[in-house]
Amino acid sequence: MALHLNLLHEQISEQRQRQRDPLKIGTIVLIGLGALFALYYGWNAYRTLAIKSQLSAVEREWSKIEPKVTAAEKRSAELNSIVKTTAVLDDYIDHRFFWAPFLEKLARCVAPNTQLTSLEGTVTEDNKAVSVSIEGVAAGREPRSAAEDLRQMLTEQLGQSYSDVKVEFKALDDLDTIANIAGGMNMAHYILAVTFQPTAKAKPTPAPTRASKR
Amino acid sequence: MKKDQIQKVLLSGVGLVILLYVYFSFFLGPLNRSRDNMLAAIRDKQAKLASSQDNLTKSAKLELQAKAATSRFAALKALSPEGAPIAWFPPRMKTFFSTQGIDKATARMENNSTFKQAELASWVKYSWLIDIPQADYARLGKAIAELENVEPLLTVNKISIRATPDQPELQQVVLSATNVIEKR
Repeated sequence: MALHLNLLHEQISEQRQRQRDPLKIGTIVLIGLGALFALYYGWNAYRTLAIKSQLSAVEREWSKIEPKVTAAEKRSAELNSIVKTTAVLDDYIDHRFFWAPFLEKLARCVAPNTQLTSLEGTVTEDNKAVSVSIEGVAAGREPRSAAEDLRQMLTEQLGQSYSDVKVEFKALDDLDTIANIAGGMNMAHYILAVTFQPTAKAKPTPAPTRASKR
Repeated sequence: MKKDQIQKVLLSGVGLVILLYVYFSFFLGPLNRSRDNMLAAIRDKQAKLASSQDNLTKSAKLELQAKAATSRFAALKALSPEGAPIAWFPPRMKTFFSTQGIDKATARMENNSTFKQAELASWVKYSWLIDIPQADYARLGKAIAELENVEPLLTVNKISIRATPDQPELQQVVLSATNVIEKR
């Protein structure tokens, strides 16, 4: 068997030693990992940039629409307020008590032998009740009966348009004065207290139309 | 392994930990946070865009639905001219009654108050005393009917009619009325 002499043994073992140097291997691994991380970071940065451009596009779109939306929201709030206010005002208007129909009915009830000297009428603030005090004089052979006729007529007429109508005498006194009608009539003084509740039946009297001047 | 090799391995391990910490804390972390924030902003804006279309449609519908209310509101507002009510209401009443054939009508303000309802926050209730020294009953009735028709925001709360002793055909009238007027 031939004898081989390895004269480079020391150099070879030194080279092997260098190749197995953990610091070197660690450095290589770190560089590899660093490269991988850098690639991963680059990929994420690319995705982030894409999202940023998407966000810019959405913001541009929003900035175009935003003034319109703000104006629309403001207008909606204004319209809602107008609708609500108009509804409340309409309710206020619809629930007013109209005096003209009452005065018309009262005028219809007054017979020639009953005269009104005073009328005081009040509506409660919520327009739910009306109280009227009517003072006057009645003339006739039976003046009290004439006053009673007026009371009954008022009850009947007002009952057609209003609810809970009450017409009561607060006072009914004979007067010493004689009315010069058909040879002299006895007279009575009366005060009527009228209370009722306005109902939906009552409508404002149509305003009289004027004939056009020719 | 030799001692110096173990030291080198440990050093490499420490280096790796530092690298990972720096990478995640100062590079990838802020990037991810920024991306998440942008995604949230996109979702928010897209939601706003979607709802804005709804709002625009609703507003357009409301505009159509509220057409009658807006014109009515404008008409009611037009009943109150510019300026202090005490400056225009008494002359208006005087003119109104004189056109109805009732002269010498005077109106004076009693007080004013605000409404409790939030919807009428910009409206004020004015109370007036309208004094009519002499009026024929039939003519007065017609005038009140006309007044109640042309002044929808006016309510007569009290009415007092008294016969004048020297002229039985004429009556002395006092009306206590409330008018709703927009704040100017």
